[in-house]
Parts: sequence; structure tokens; C-alpha cells
Amino acid sequence: MFLALRDLHRSWRRFVLVGTVVALVAVLSTVLAGLADGLVRDGTSGLRALPYSDLAMQPGSQAVFSRSTLGPRALAAWEGVPGARVSPVGVSFVNAASTTKAPSIDLALFGVPADSFLVRRPDARAALAGRPGLVLSSELAKQGVRVGDRFRVGGSDVALPVLGFTFAGSYGHVPIAFTSLPAWQSIAFGSDARGRFSAVALDLPGHVDAAAVNQRAGTELKSKRASYDGSPGFTAESLTMTLIRGFLLVISGLIVGAFFTVLTVQRTRQIGLLKAMGASSGYVIRDGLGQMTLVVLGATTVGAAIGVGLITLLEGGAAPVALQASSVLGSATLLVVAGIVGSMVPFRRITKVEPAIALGVEA
Amino acid sequence: MSGLELVGLHIAVPDGEHTRILLDGVDLSVAAGEVVVLTGSSGSGKSSLLAVAGLLRRPAAGDVLVGGTSTEHLSERRRTLLRKQHIGIVYQSANLIPSLTAREQLELVAHVNGVKRRVARDRAAQLLTSVGLVHRLDALPGQLSGGERQRVGIARALMSEPSVLLADEPTASLDPDLAADIAALIADEAHRRELATIIVTHDDAPGRHADRTLHLAAGALTERPPVAS
Repeated sequence: MFLALRDLHRSWRRFVLVGTVVALVAVLSTVLAGLADGLVRDGTSGLRALPYSDLAMQPGSQAVFSRSTLGPRALAAWEGVPGARVSPVGVSFVNAASTTKAPSIDLALFGVPADSFLVRRPDARAALAGRPGLVLSSELAKQGVRVGDRFRVGGSDVALPVLGFTFAGSYGHVPIAFTSLPAWQSIAFGSDARGRFSAVALDLPGHVDAAAVNQRAGTELKSKRASYDGSPGFTAESLTMTLIRGFLLVISGLIVGAFFTVLTVQRTRQIGLLKAMGASSGYVIRDGLGQMTLVVLGATTVGAAIGVGLITLLEGGAAPVALQASSVLGSATLLVVAGIVGSMVPFRRITKVEPAIALGVEA
Repeated sequence: MSGLELVGLHIAVPDGEHTRILLDGVDLSVAAGEVVVLTGSSGSGKSSLLAVAGLLRRPAAGDVLVGGTSTEHLSERRRTLLRKQHIGIVYQSANLIPSLTAREQLELVAHVNGVKRRVARDRAAQLLTSVGLVHRLDALPGQLSGGERQRVGIARALMSEPSVLLADEPTASLDPDLAADIAALIADEAHRRELATIIVTHDDAPGRHADRTLHLAAGALTERPPVAS
């Protein structure tokens, strides 16, 4: 790195362009990481906030609540597991039409028993234990919904009152509303509910023979993380963001490769001189690779810092962004790796430079 | 023992549909401490001869002996090692690296050769002082005059304590007074350090300090009378 460090120090202008481009890619990559995290959070924050470890669902439902219907037999099987906290939960997407002056809203309606371990706040438990009503995600309060507003949910004839607000988050980008399980069953199945619900939420102790219970219950167990996959659009959004970030990494690697190739071509005679001095191709490659690594590292750090600043500014606004250190670091690390891989593009060219070129003689 | 011997060198290069012979069985022996000036028209093969003598390229046929060691059948790695240890090259227009100071140009040679930094710094300062640049150690090439740049180039060629010194048009693009100074400096260093030296040139200046002057034409070397100093 003898030459590389001095080159960077005294001829830094040569690296401004490649550094700027890499920094811009880093900004974009960091913001995309924030957007991906934000979309995931927006799609699954409701599930993340609930204190369950697993969901027992209908086999083949692929963690999609609308494809899963379970009954009392499944619930009883899981309730028989010693030390497990168990709660039936009904989930459906509904439109709630206001019968008062409040705006109509779309809701991810979660029906749970009032004494469910999923309901942690005593006031929420009390609300669900009383007359049928809705406990809404607190963000709906910002949209002008007030306690006492009434909504006809899912075309039902009965208008349910808003009982209160809690941090419920959202599911599939739709705000969550809690109601009692009987109220949910009434909305979902009318008078023919027969004790049915969507899934069994579980907080399982360690070393439970889940396979045996699953068999008895006729269910399929999904971990909390796996249960996010059923969130509408979750997989498609995650794949899309991963694809975009993947393309960015490839583009970044190619950009660095192209710039390094140009720099190598410009330095052909200098490389010849180094070889004439006795430097091996390995020496020249190590020097150049070290130089590009420093450029990419510096530019990525600057770009990621700007990206973090942008995410901080956007957080809480209309765009669903979230700042997660692990994502930002992961994204920046991948970018640096892509840059280093890109720097390897002109290696062959470097090895082919003949020392005689230092004398202006083509070998 | 001769410092540098070229034996039966053949070099041919493609020239359109034909092949042009640059060196046709050239023999040359340069003793330690001897300064040989090589002249010839553009394209006559002077630089190619220098590249072969400097082990920068292989001839089509023939051998180069450095300090009596034949290089004809040596691997590229051994040739590179021999070049690092025994051959110093002064380039046209000095060929300095723009981002390195005068001292660092020399330290780079030491770094490539794995010499310790402290030793390299001291030796670089010593050499630059000996070529009259004690006050310009930390100057970048862009801050040096043409003559100073070439002095740095000479000091750099001496950094690895070679036994053979090759100079390619070292006085080109210098005014006559500077050219005379540079030619004298190379010859002085060559005689003082007992270096077998070949200077390729178009100018008269180096010829005044030569022990022998040779002319390359049509692939063959012919001796020229010495230039009056």
C-alpha cells in the first residue's frame, strides 16, 4: 500500500468521481434497506407486538389467516400442553363504515377472548369483556376516530362502538382492531360460528413435542417469524426489495470495476515501471486492490451516513421507513464486498502489463 | 569479468505484412565502470536493445549475461530477481510517479525490494544529496525542474545498488547545459560506483563522457570515434 496511500492522499481528485458514485449507491442502498424494513414493519408490526411464540394453523394454510379455520378440537389439544399459554384468535380484513361523523376505515380485525394472554393491558381486557365493541390501533385516533364512534363492520347490521385505543400496530399495511372472539365470530360466520376461529396463538415452553400435539390437534405449527410470511404482500414486498438491492449491488460492483479498469489503463506505464523495478503482479494488484477498498469503504461510509440521515428525516411520515442498525450495516458491508469484487475486474489486465512498457517498448 | 554482456542478440518486430529486424546477432560487452553510449536513428532498436539488456524482455535469440550469469534459460522470476538486484534504469523524462516526493520515488524501489523503511529513508536521502537534491527531498515531481526530475530518476536507478546502469534518452527534452550536467552526473556515478553503463541517446552530451560510442543501424553495432569533450 506504499504507493496506494500516497496516491490517495495527493491525487485524491482522481477518486472523487468513483467515490461519489459509490456514495450515491450507498445512499440509495441504505434508504432501500430502511424502506424494506419499514414495509416489513408496516406489514407485520401487529403480529410482532403480540406476545406469542408460535401459531397453530390449519395445515396447508401457509400462514395465511384467511386460509385457516380451526375449531374447539384443535384448541383443546393445545390447551392440554402443560405450561403453555393458549388463545384462539380470529383474523379477517373488514371495512368499517362509520355511522357517525368519523371516516370509514379498513381494519385487520383480530377477535380474541377478553382473558387471552394476547391482551396485556387490563383496561383492554375490561373493554373486551364488556359489551361488544372495538379497541383500535392508536394511529386511527390521528385520523379523527374518537371513542364512542360507531362502525358497521363487514356489512353487519350491528354497529360496534369504539371502546378505546391501544398500540396494536398493523397487519398487511392495515391498522389492527381488536374485538371479542364472539363478536369476531358473529361478523365472520354470522349465527353459524360453531366455535370456529382462524388460529391458535401459543406461548410454548421449551421442549414441547409439537409434532405429537400437532397431530392430535390437526394443525400445522408456524413460528412467530414464519407467521409473518402470511401477511398480505409480505413475501412479494420482501422479494422485490431484495431484488432491487441485489441489482444495486451488482451495479455497484460493475461501476467500481469499470472505474478501476479505466484507472488501470491510465496507469499502464506506471504499472510497467513498478514491474521494471521488480514488483510482482501480486504486489501491483495488492496495492490497487487496497486502494479501491479504501475508496469504496470511505464512500460507502459517507453514503450510508447520508442514507441514515434521510431515513431519520422520513421516519414517521407517509413513507414506511424504519432505521435498523443491522440492516444498514449489512447493506453497507455487502456494498463494500461488491466493490472489492468489482475491483478484481482488471486483475488480468494488470498481470498482462509488461515491464518493457516502462521504456515505451511493446513486448 | 564483464559487468554486462550481450551475446548474439536477435530481435525482430512485425512491420505490416513483413518482419523488421532490429538486432541481428548483436554482441556487446560492457566492463564494470565502463560507459558505453549508443546512438542510432529513431526506430533503429536502441530502446529494444536496452529492454533486452535490462531483462525487461527476452530476445528472439541470444543471451544476456549480468555479472557473468547467463539469463537465457532463467525463469521469469529469476530474471526479475536479477533485475531487482543488479540493474538500475534511468528513463526518458525521468518517468517519475506524480504522487510521490523525490525521496519516496527512491523509497518505492526499496519497498518493492522489501528493504526496511528506515534504511530506505536514509539511503534515499543520501543518494538524493549525492545528486545535488538535498534541499528537494520532499518535493513532488510537479514541483521539480526537468533537470531535477532527471536527477531524481538517476538516484532512483542507483537505489538498489546495481552493478549495471541503463539510461534511455536521459537528456532528451533538456536544454544543452542541463543535458551536459545530467550526462556528466551519470558518467561520474558510473565511474565512481564501477557500473557497467549503457546510455541510449540522440544527443551529443552523453557522448562526451563515453568510454566508447556505438552506433546501431540495420541491426548491427558499429564503433564511432569518441566525441571531443
